[in-house]
Amino acid sequence: MAAAVIETHALGKTFGLTPVLQETEFKLSPGRGAIVIGGNGCGKSTLLAIFAGLVAPSEGYALVFGEDTRRFGPRYRRRIGMMSHQSFLYPDLTARENLEFYARLYQVSAPREVAESWLARLGLADWAGDRVRTFSRGMEQRLAAARAMIHGPSLLLLDEPFAGLDPDGVARVGTLIKSALEEGCSIVATAHTPFGVEGAEFEVYEIVRGQVVPCQEEDAPRRGRLRSLLRPRPS
Amino acid sequence: MNTFLAILRKDLLLELRGGRSTTALVSLALLVLVVLTFALDRTAGDGPANAAGALWIALVFAGMLGATRVMVAEHENGCLRALLLSPVDRAILYAAKLTASATFMIVAAAAASTMAMLFFNLEFSGSLATLAVALTLGALGFSALATLLAAISIRARGGELLLPLLIVPLFVPALIAGVKASAAALAGAPLAAAREWVGILIAFDILFVTAGYLLFEHVVGEE
Repeated sequence: MAAAVIETHALGKTFGLTPVLQETEFKLSPGRGAIVIGGNGCGKSTLLAIFAGLVAPSEGYALVFGEDTRRFGPRYRRRIGMMSHQSFLYPDLTARENLEFYARLYQVSAPREVAESWLARLGLADWAGDRVRTFSRGMEQRLAAARAMIHGPSLLLLDEPFAGLDPDGVARVGTLIKSALEEGCSIVATAHTPFGVEGAEFEVYEIVRGQVVPCQEEDAPRRGRLRSLLRPRPS
Repeated sequence: MNTFLAILRKDLLLELRGGRSTTALVSLALLVLVVLTFALDRTAGDGPANAAGALWIALVFAGMLGATRVMVAEHENGCLRALLLSPVDRAILYAAKLTASATFMIVAAAAASTMAMLFFNLEFSGSLATLAVALTLGALGFSALATLLAAISIRARGGELLLPLLIVPLFVPALIAGVKASAAALAGAPLAAAREWVGILIAFDILFVTAGYLLFEHVVGEE
């Protein structure tokens, strides 16, 4: 059996005196997709940031590719792609320059050509020479998706990947996510409510009282952190 | 080396587009020099010393405003996180940021020194090389310090207030050496006359460039 891409043990994160994640156990097998749902402030983004090695856990640990995220080196970071609430794009660079810059950071060969092909895949070729500052929220989100995937990561961490996208954008980003899964990439995505990508299978989890547990009611709308805290703690 | 050049190219491109750092640096340097030109007595015969003092005050103030921009700009849209998430070595990231910051400061120093010589009615002489050496070393040391401390302060609440409080005291040794070396240069003395002061500037640069290179990873590391 292949080793898990992500494995956490008693993972906890506290900001100041506020616990966000507590004794979290989570496992993701290679090539699988998982959606973590929950309300605002329940710890979804923190969980992804810990997996990316950007935030250190307060308790326990997270292993990604078998390596403790506290000790992540360039070799491991190269294998991760991340979409965050923030686009990670430079507003005064053009769409092409942004993608080309990130392609160079990840030492992708032929960065300009690769950037052009990603712009075409996301329907942004006509705006390749426009500065990101002039983009709508949806266009920026599409570009952010290309930025996260441009180096062909083995693990994609997607924080609300469809936020701000129009139907065409949802379809294009959904296609990218499906393609990534088909190519063996593992994916953890977050959302307020479960979502589906046609032809792709995701395990759905939710964050309840700081713990990641399999979702029991996939279609139920989530009403934020208060609801999560009021729910009984899983045994 | 490719990633170093990619980051440096990006920072210079952003500066060419926005011009925020260099404009802020040159504008503030001009303002300080104008004020000090009127405040100091230019007929007292110590023009070079006054000009050197005014020049370095202008550079320190301007540097605090402009030289830290290369780090602060990374905060917009969370780009610093993207850099930290990428496989780029933190030391290379520091080196690229330092080079960009020092480039902006050297451009500002060239403009400010020209203005200082005009405002204080000093003659251009063969000692310009000494002045250039002192200013370049000073700009490098200031940038090394500012880049490292800006990386700390941008993550702290009220970091913009914290930054000058951290930079100025630490920069004092280089500031004194820079003023002395520049005063000698503006008075027409050769480089040999300012050798000791230039030595202090070199030592300061080595200390803080090395410190930044080694500490940057820990400063910008995980939250």
